[in-house]
Amino acid sequence: MVSGLTRASVERHRGVIMLSPYGLDIIESCLTCKMRADRIFCDLPTAALQSFEAIKYATAYPKGAVLFVEGQAPRGIFVLCKGRVKLSICATDGKTLILKIAEPGEVLGLSATVSGKPYELTAETIDPCQVNFVKREDFLRFLKDHSDACFKVAEQLSEKYNNACHEVRSLGLSHSAGEKLAKLLLEWSSRNGEAAKQEPRVKLALTHEEIAQMIGTSRETVTRLFADLKKRQIVQAKGSTLVIRNKVALKAMATNT
Amino acid sequence: MESAIQQSCLDCSLRPDRLFCDLPTSALEAFDTVKSRLVCPRNTVLFREGQPARGVFVLCEGRAKLSVCSESGKRLTLRIAVPGEVLGLSASLSGSVYEVTAELLDNAQVAMVKRKDLLRFLREHREACLHVVTLLSQDLHVAYDRVRSVGLGRTRRPRSAHA
Repeated sequence: MVSGLTRASVERHRGVIMLSPYGLDIIESCLTCKMRADRIFCDLPTAALQSFEAIKYATAYPKGAVLFVEGQAPRGIFVLCKGRVKLSICATDGKTLILKIAEPGEVLGLSATVSGKPYELTAETIDPCQVNFVKREDFLRFLKDHSDACFKVAEQLSEKYNNACHEVRSLGLSHSAGEKLAKLLLEWSSRNGEAAKQEPRVKLALTHEEIAQMIGTSRETVTRLFADLKKRQIVQAKGSTLVIRNKVALKAMATNT
Repeated sequence: MESAIQQSCLDCSLRPDRLFCDLPTSALEAFDTVKSRLVCPRNTVLFREGQPARGVFVLCEGRAKLSVCSESGKRLTLRIAVPGEVLGLSASLSGSVYEVTAELLDNAQVAMVKRKDLLRFLREHREACLHVVTLLSQDLHVAYDRVRSVGLGRTRRPRSAHA
C-alpha cells in the first residue's frame, strides 16, 4: 500500500498506468529493491525481509513533512528508502541544532522505538521521500524473531552513536564557528567519491540558516564566513555547488593551526 | 597493572539489576567462557579514542570516565559510566575505532570480551543481542542529551506531542 498522494505524475510501465507521488519512483517491495545490498539494515536474509514486508507501510512524503517530533512518544521506526531528512534538536527558547541529514538506508526513530523513550530528535523531510513505517510493537516482535535483523539494528545504532560522539567533539571542542564550518565542509567533501579529488565539490543542500543550526552559530556568521572563504579563494561557488579550491587551507582552519 | 582472575557471572548477586547481565543461564554460562575478569587500579585507561576496537569491557565494579579529545589535546567529558555498563560496545560491533577514551575513576573489576568472541556470542544468543540493542539505544539517548547540552547550552524540556 502506498499513501500520501497529492500531486501525481503519470508513467507508463509495461502498458500499465502508475501514479508516482511527488515525482518519486516508488520501491514497492524490499525483496526486489536494487539498493538492498548497499544498505546495512536492508541487507537481510530473504525470510526476514518477507516478514518485514508484512509489517511495513510504504508511504510517500513531500518536502517539508514532519515524520516525528522531539519529545513525542515513539510510534515506530521510519526506514528512509528515498530522499533525505533533517534531524534536529531544539532548546526551550526555540534555538535549533541540526544534528545531521539522514540519507536513504537509514532507520529513523530507532533508539526511541527500541527503548520506549520519547523521540530524541525531530525528523523533517528536505526532499520528497519514500519511507517504510513499522509500528513499534511489530518491530520489537520482528527483532525477537529475527536475530539477523537485531544485529543490523545494533550496527545502525553503533553508527548513530559514533556520529553523536563526533558531534559532541565538534561542538564542544571547536574554538570558533570558522573551525566548525571548515570541519563540516571537509566532512561533506569526503562523501560521494569526492575525497580523493584535488578540488572536491560539495552540493549545498542547506541554507545558511540551516548550516548555522548545524554548527551552533548564527546565519549572519555563516554568511560572513563563506564570504571570507570565497575572498581568500579557499572555496568557489558555482551555483549551489561549492568547489574547495584549497583543501590544505581549509584543513588548517578546521584544526585551528 | 592488570591481573586476570576468573569468577562466574552466575554467582553475581547484582545480576538481576543490570540490563546486560540479566541473561538466561545458558547465555551466561557461554559468556563465562569468553570473558576475562580483570582487576584494574584507578586511572587505568581501558581504551583510547581512535584505537581500533579490540573488544568490550563490562564494568562489574567501579566507575569510568568517558571523554573525547580535540587535536590540540583539549578534553571534554561525555559522562561517567557506572557498574553494569558495557563500554566500547558500538565500536566493537561496527569494527571501527573507539569513539571515546575510557579511564577508571575507581579501582575496578572489569570483564573483557574480545571482539570476535563477542560477535559469535551475540549471534548464538538472541536474548543477549536484544539486550545489546537496548543498551545501545540507552547510550545513544545519553549521547544526544550531551549533544543538546553542549550545542544548545541546556537540557530539553519535553515538548507537547503533535497528533
